[in-house]
Amino acid sequence: MKKALALALVALPVSLFAADPPAHIDVSKLPSQAKMIDEVVVPVPSEIFGVLDKLGKPSWSQVQRPINGVVQPTGESPQIALMLGSVIAEGFIAVEAEDAIQVKQIGKSVLNLATPLGVGAEVKKRAQAITDSADKKDWNDVRKELDGALDDVKKAMAKLNSEALSQLVSLGGWIRGTEALTAVVGKSYTKDGAELLHQPVLLDYFEKRLAGLKPKYKVNPLITRVQKGVLEIRPLIGLTDDVDISEKSVQEINRITSDLIKSINSKAP
Amino acid sequence: MKRYVPLVLFLFVLSLGARPAHATIDDALSFALEAADPYVKEGFTVREDYWGGDLPVKTTKAIVHQLFKGNEYWFWMGTDQKAAKISIHIYDSAGNLAESESWSKPHFAAARVVPKKTGSYYLIVEVEKSPDERTYWSLAYGFK
Repeated sequence: MKKALALALVALPVSLFAADPPAHIDVSKLPSQAKMIDEVVVPVPSEIFGVLDKLGKPSWSQVQRPINGVVQPTGESPQIALMLGSVIAEGFIAVEAEDAIQVKQIGKSVLNLATPLGVGAEVKKRAQAITDSADKKDWNDVRKELDGALDDVKKAMAKLNSEALSQLVSLGGWIRGTEALTAVVGKSYTKDGAELLHQPVLLDYFEKRLAGLKPKYKVNPLITRVQKGVLEIRPLIGLTDDVDISEKSVQEINRITSDLIKSINSKAP
Repeated sequence: MKRYVPLVLFLFVLSLGARPAHATIDDALSFALEAADPYVKEGFTVREDYWGGDLPVKTTKAIVHQLFKGNEYWFWMGTDQKAAKISIHIYDSAGNLAESESWSKPHFAAARVVPKKTGSYYLIVEVEKSPDERTYWSLAYGFK
C-alpha cells in the first residue's frame, strides 16, 4: 500500500510538492551575502518617477537644471562619472517636463561624458535613441533608453574593471534624482511622497562603496564631500520602517543634495 | 588496447552526464525573459539588467532590493535545467512574506509584489531540486 501511495505521489505534478513558503523568516540568519549588502539592487530612476507620476502632476520645469549646450567633462574620472550619473537623472526630469530640446542636449551630453570614461562606443547607440525618441516625443521610450544607458555604462565599466566608477555614476544619478524628488515633495509635502525617500539600504550600500574606493579616488576632494553628504543624509531618510520622514528632513536632504550637485558640476569642486 | 576500454567507457559516461558547454547564466536568462514576456503585454517595464549564478540544491541566495510603494513588481527566475525546481519568494525588511502571488514550473519561477511600504525587501531564490550538482539560474524583474 505504501508503495502504491509513493507511486501515486510520484505521478503528481511537481508543483504540488512545493511547500508553501514560510510566512516569516529570520532576516538576521539570511546567507551572508544579504547581510553584507553586496547584493543590493540599485533601482533605475524610472521606478521612482513612475510612482511620482501616480502621486500627481508636479511642475517639473521648476525642478529642472537647464543644460546650455553640451555638458563638457570636468576634472578627473570620479567627477566625470558623478557628472554622467547626474546628467542621466536630469534626462528623467526633462522627460517629466516633456522638454524635447533638453532631452536631446542630454543625449549628446551623455555621449560626451561617457567617452573620456572609456565607454563612449557602448552608449553611442543609446544616445542616438534618446535623441530619436525625444524627436518623436515618445516619453516612455526616452525613459527606457535612459534606464538602458545607465545599465550599458555599468556593464561596459565592469568589462573595463571600473566598477568603482560605475558606482559613482549610479551615485551621481541618485544625488540628482534625490535633489529633484525632495524639491517636488517639499513643494506640497505628503507622507506618501516623503516615503519615497525611505532608502536606508541604498544609503548603506553607497556609503560602503565610497569607503571601499581606491586611495587614488578617495583623496579627490569631491569624493570626500560626497562621502560626507551621504553620511549626513543617512539619519534623515528614516532609520526604521515605521518612522515618517518629516517635512524638515525633506528640506534638509534637498539642501545637502543641491550643494553636492553644485560641487559635482563645478570646475573647482 | 582492451585495457583502455573501461577508461573510454568511463569518459563516455562522464560526457553524457556533463552539462553542455553552452549552458550558462545567459541560457537561464533567456528563460527568465521568456517568463516575463506575457507581463510586458500587461504594461510592465522589464529592466535591462539581471542577476544570476549557480547554486547547489537546497541552497538559498538572498538579494536585497529597494522597492517603492505605488509600483507593482514581478520577479522572474529562469534556469536552463528543465528537471530542476526553482523558487523565488519576497520578504519585507522584518522578514514577513510580502508577495501577492508566486508560481513555479519547469525552467521558471516568479513572484509578484505590490509593496505596502517603500523600503528594502529580500528576494530569496532557491534551487529546490535538480539533477545537477550546481544549477544555473538568472533573475530579471519588471515594474509598472
